[in-house]
Amino acid sequence: MRYFLRRLGHAFLMLIGVSLLSFFFTTLAPGNYLDEMRLDPQIAPETLAALRAQYQLDQPLPVRYVSWLNSLIHGKMGFSFAYNSPVAPLLMVRARNTLLLTIIATLFAWGLALPLGVWSAEHLGRLPDRLLSWGTAVGLVLPDLALALGLLLLAVKTGWLPPGGMVSVDFESFSLLHKLGDLLQHMILPVAALVLSSLPLLVRHVRAAVADVLGAPFLVAAKGHGIPKRRLLYHYALRAAANPLISLFGFSVGTLLSGSLLVEVVMSWPGLGPFLLEAILARDLYVVIGGVLLSTLFLLGGNFLADVFLYWADPRIRKENGAG
Amino acid sequence: MQPLLNVENLVKRYDGKRLVALQDELSALDGVSFSLFPATTLAVVGESGSGKSTLALCLACLEPPTAGCIWLEGKNLVALGEAERRKVRPQIQLIFQDPANSLNPRWNVLEILTEPLRLQGKFNSEGIERRASCLLEQVGLSMHIATRSPAELSGGQRQRLAIARALAPGPKLLILDEALSALDCSVQAQIANLLMELQTSLGMTYLFITHDLAMGVHIADEIAVMHQGRIVELGPAEKIVTSPHHEMTRQLLAATPSIAQATRLAREP
Amino acid sequence: MTRRVLTRWLIVLLGLHGLVVCAGFFSPYNPAEQDRNHVYLPPQLLHLVDPTGHLHFRPFVYPWKLRPDTPDLREEDTAHPLPLRFFVNGAHYRLLGVFPARLHLFGGEDTRICLLGTDAYGRDQFSRFLYGGQISLLAGFLGAALTLLLGTLVGSVAGYFGGLIDDALMRFAELFLALPWLYLLFALRAFLPLAVSPLKAFFLIIGVIGAVGWARPGRLIRGVVLSAKERDFVRAARGFGATDRYLLWNHVLPETRGVILTQAAILIPQFVLAEMTLSFLGLGVPEPVPSWGNLLSNLQQYSVLVSYWWMYLPALLMVPFFLGYLGLASSLQERTETYMIERRSLGGVT
Repeated sequence: MRYFLRRLGHAFLMLIGVSLLSFFFTTLAPGNYLDEMRLDPQIAPETLAALRAQYQLDQPLPVRYVSWLNSLIHGKMGFSFAYNSPVAPLLMVRARNTLLLTIIATLFAWGLALPLGVWSAEHLGRLPDRLLSWGTAVGLVLPDLALALGLLLLAVKTGWLPPGGMVSVDFESFSLLHKLGDLLQHMILPVAALVLSSLPLLVRHVRAAVADVLGAPFLVAAKGHGIPKRRLLYHYALRAAANPLISLFGFSVGTLLSGSLLVEVVMSWPGLGPFLLEAILARDLYVVIGGVLLSTLFLLGGNFLADVFLYWADPRIRKENGAG
Repeated sequence: MQPLLNVENLVKRYDGKRLVALQDELSALDGVSFSLFPATTLAVVGESGSGKSTLALCLACLEPPTAGCIWLEGKNLVALGEAERRKVRPQIQLIFQDPANSLNPRWNVLEILTEPLRLQGKFNSEGIERRASCLLEQVGLSMHIATRSPAELSGGQRQRLAIARALAPGPKLLILDEALSALDCSVQAQIANLLMELQTSLGMTYLFITHDLAMGVHIADEIAVMHQGRIVELGPAEKIVTSPHHEMTRQLLAATPSIAQATRLAREP
Repeated sequence: MTRRVLTRWLIVLLGLHGLVVCAGFFSPYNPAEQDRNHVYLPPQLLHLVDPTGHLHFRPFVYPWKLRPDTPDLREEDTAHPLPLRFFVNGAHYRLLGVFPARLHLFGGEDTRICLLGTDAYGRDQFSRFLYGGQISLLAGFLGAALTLLLGTLVGSVAGYFGGLIDDALMRFAELFLALPWLYLLFALRAFLPLAVSPLKAFFLIIGVIGAVGWARPGRLIRGVVLSAKERDFVRAARGFGATDRYLLWNHVLPETRGVILTQAAILIPQFVLAEMTLSFLGLGVPEPVPSWGNLLSNLQQYSVLVSYWWMYLPALLMVPFFLGYLGLASSLQERTETYMIERRSLGGVT
């Protein structure tokens, strides 16, 4: 338990650090939302001054940070200039959509990478392994952007899948089952883009890690004992190779979050990606800070999950920190 | 005669975050004192972990001791600031156990050899070249190997090069930290002879650190036996061998068959 | 073995970058030259065999003509083949940005030849691809240089001096690693001015990209420095009266060379991608300056995606560049690893 508490404490400190850092950067920003408004001759200078005071833009950094922390505690995370509403509810809807995409993509990517990597390691140097190596190389050199655009192009040209968006226009009129089907249909394209962009790296690492332990004496001995191959590969080898793969899991969450940002924009998935882009272009600072912080939270969540896996998979850590 | 080096009650403790100090509050050096006279050799003998290498690093001003004094010709090295210590370091040169590790593998022989000369900044390029060939000659090497990399030399050649380099800054004291241990037997003997020749010709003073009592006896005038960060026995080489007082010395003697035999023969005329 | 592979990849990359660096020579037209009468022309295929089955040694293309019964569909006009001319004089440009020249590798006689088609303003996509590569690759290069400079600075100071500085710098690096990189890129970009001149935007982008990535190479370099400073030849040099600066510069930093080179081969393509992403999203170098991201950003319009698929071709042409860097990075990595193993066996006598 102490192990998890320590990890959580560390994550909490990281969040504080990232929020402080982003606030510090806002002071370097040469403009804000109100500057854009100032260009509009229809808005009176007095209104602007009042807005400045309301958003505390005239206050020094520490004051703004403390009042932002206060609003965070009240579940608001600051105020969006563009939407004239607290940031948190706006972000939550988008974050949900992003998470939906990322979690499903993570599951698929790992679900495919593990068997493919093990299969490749099992046939190390032979035809299946070579083919897969070439496949992953192609995947590695194809930029994420090109991949997403290519899939979209394919969807548009063939008409098999809806080209972007999250639901159809008349979504509200559908039955529940139909709604689910519609959502799934819209999800195939972005999830495919995410999985394909992260899969090559994962397969390569799984292959390397498993190939590494396959030569280990204890596995050769296990083979000699006549343990079935499937059990040998998936039970013994994969478990011995788990440590580096688990740290890779934390890393892959970060890659998928970044990838998701881009894929969402390309495929107009209403997640954090398009929302943040819009906020940047509008200089809606608190939305940007909120988005950045949420992404940090997700990544730390992924890392925490990796820690949990590690605790579960590696008896040494359990022992070091006292069982439970 | 005045001693060249006078060590008083030297203490070194590794504390806190150092990896070395897994056993906490262990002193690597626990009150070491001795004197070393010019043109003589003191062998410090002990098992691994007895604090020999720490002693070498402290004397060479590469590690600050926790307490105690190191007097070199009347100057206390412990009390010096970093800038002054930097000026003193060339006077006490250290030769390491493994020359493959103490010679930068990216450099060639000439670059390695002239590094101390260039750092001193006393010579022009012509002078450096002359001095380099002179140094190589002293240790039995020639300028033919000047452009080779250390990896292309034999173990003995590498250690000779290390010795030549240590002589370059004109040191008063040479500390040899297990300098022969990584070498083959025959090469050990050659290097040991070279060291003794150099002592005669240059009047060099040695602190010879080894785990091998026989080698210590062969090369040194005086022997200090170290155990758990302390000098447990100190005296002339032949006396240590013939009448050891401390248990540690006896163990070391027993572990060295050639000496054990020699002393038995000496006792039974 | 690894050395030969390494050389092979280097030659591939050198060739590809040569195309981009001498974009003026290899591209037939000025990338900004518009032709409003020929917008969204499809790519023109190089032919060697004419409709009557005759083989020609000089490649030729067919011009596009509107299909008689449609408003916007085009077909090849096989009646008027356009032979390709080599080493023709055309638009003025400056080779390497310095030498004025007007010689081009190829061009048409009087009609333009657009191998990759044209965009919404009738600009030649092939020329824009080559010129765009200049911006994107240079951004990648300078960004990687900046990142590695920062990373080396932080890593070597943290690793060499240790203690409190080390702790502080590494905690700071962790903050940068706690963010998914694209979010970090967004965040940094968000706090910088949006509407600026292309040149300013270019340096802004490099600054942002360079500031994003230093933490990972910084940590790697710190590790190398940490082990390098404990080596005996560093101790020996300190014994000759060397200063910290001398030791760092002459003994410790050379040890990090392998890591830095490998990291460069990994970071450059990553940062080219970063520039592409930013430009694609409209946060990078603005039009009319071509960059690889700008080229692709046309595809954000649904109509372009539906009707003008060839706007996607530049994305495929970038692949050889990334392939080259992947090959370089893996052979560099292999070389560094074998080097380390050799060193260990050489040093591990006891």
